[in-house]
Amino acid sequence: MTTPRQHLADIFVELAGGNPDEPLDIPLLLTSLVMRSRELVGAYACGALVTLDVSPTEAYASDEGTRELVLGAHTEGQGPGPECRRTGRPVPRTDLRGRVARQRWPQYTPRALGLGYTQVAARPLGGHDHAVGSLTLFGSEDMPLTDEGLRFSQSLADIVAIALLRDLELNRSRTQTGQMERALISRLAIEQAKGVLAAQRSLSVDQAFVILRGHARTHRRKLTEVAREVVEGQLTL
Amino acid sequence: MTPGDGNAGQVAAAWRRAAAARARAERAEKSAQRYEAWAAETGHTPHVDLAAALRRSAACHRSSADLQEAFARRVAAWGQGPGERPRFMSGVAEVCGAESVALTLVDARNSQLAVAASGEPARAAQDLEFMLGEGPSRDATTHRGLVFASGEAIETRWPCFGPALTALGVREVAAAPLDTAASSRCLGALAVFDPRPGLVGSRAFDDVVGALTRLVLCDPDADPELYGGTDHRDSVQQAAGMVSVHVGCRVDDALALIKARAFTRGVPLDALSRAIVAGDLTFTREGPS
Repeated sequence: MTTPRQHLADIFVELAGGNPDEPLDIPLLLTSLVMRSRELVGAYACGALVTLDVSPTEAYASDEGTRELVLGAHTEGQGPGPECRRTGRPVPRTDLRGRVARQRWPQYTPRALGLGYTQVAARPLGGHDHAVGSLTLFGSEDMPLTDEGLRFSQSLADIVAIALLRDLELNRSRTQTGQMERALISRLAIEQAKGVLAAQRSLSVDQAFVILRGHARTHRRKLTEVAREVVEGQLTL
Repeated sequence: MTPGDGNAGQVAAAWRRAAAARARAERAEKSAQRYEAWAAETGHTPHVDLAAALRRSAACHRSSADLQEAFARRVAAWGQGPGERPRFMSGVAEVCGAESVALTLVDARNSQLAVAASGEPARAAQDLEFMLGEGPSRDATTHRGLVFASGEAIETRWPCFGPALTALGVREVAAAPLDTAASSRCLGALAVFDPRPGLVGSRAFDDVVGALTRLVLCDPDADPELYGGTDHRDSVQQAAGMVSVHVGCRVDDALALIKARAFTRGVPLDALSRAIVAGDLTFTREGPS
């Protein structure tokens, strides 16, 4: 590879998500992935499909025509990109002019040929247990996909996948922290409300809880909200 | 629950969690090796950083496995004899080599939401912090940093809490915040009482704190209840609700009254609260009767 060392190092930083103290810019990261893959793998064009948690699948590509091809493939559920994303396994280099491609992807293949591509291959983003997307690489007559290039493309996909998975985990952990705190605060309010109600009506705390729960059920309200209103004196039961 | 009831199941579950944590540690270790090899080849710093992060992660998983195993052994031994059901935190104390340890979870205003202690004096110390509103866990969560005090420094640093703590026979205390890069604020703290020399500030201690943070929050086996060992101070909250009605004040103020009463009388907060809930002790506008 003729790429100077420092340039390569900068690209790795970019693909690893840049500064870890700043929030991950996912569109920027995936745009870098497709642009850098084309540059370093020596592919004619590159595209990527990504599905993160509950967000809709997004398509990125080194040019608009390729983006439409990749997105169309996703919508129709046909082509190497969606296949690779679904299985988490690489789709080997395939000749788009051959019979295999035409049979396997009847709508996709003529469109890809129309853009001047003669070869296609796909690499998963993330392992097969937790693939979050795929990287699709296109070769042409003048720029065929090489074995070395394809091996390298998997490494680039791996770096980006680690950054994406780490970001996902961070977000989940954030959500979990919030949930835990709400559950603990809610428990506090319910215990206090039991005490308030028990004192107001000379009941045991267990009897008070039955009344609280009963009120929440009949009025289809959250127990926590009812408890909070009792504690704050806005609701008398 | 009597010894034996679901005991074998709980022991087996703890061993399973330990094995899973060891497997996670190994995976992280292997990835770290890959990145180190890669870094050696390219001389590239992000790979070095990534490898270091993976190594830290592996150490936390390994520490987590140690905690689960200590818990499993204690529950197994308890199943064959008398005594109190072992707490998860007593295994943490064992791994830390501390007399006792306590975990505190706090809300955004830094108020204690729940506590888990290995036993005395940690339990009493957490109550003192709760009653007096000062102490190592509170400082650790407020400043998001390690707190350490020994000997006389305990009494000068915390004028109310300090003397009460040393009266319990504690000579040294440290507290570390439970923090993650993902959280905008600190979730709680681990306090250790009379730790073995050299523990505080060591990598091993950091790993235990990291393991506990994951255990409470983000691990696949995360359980903020610490397998039944978390105390929510339910009676105290119930008592606060009752006193607020009897005295005619806000629940927060009622809670402050109960804390003050327990501290001045030298009665455990929980015992006093139970007495209030049972109707054996009533607070009135004029004072307790």
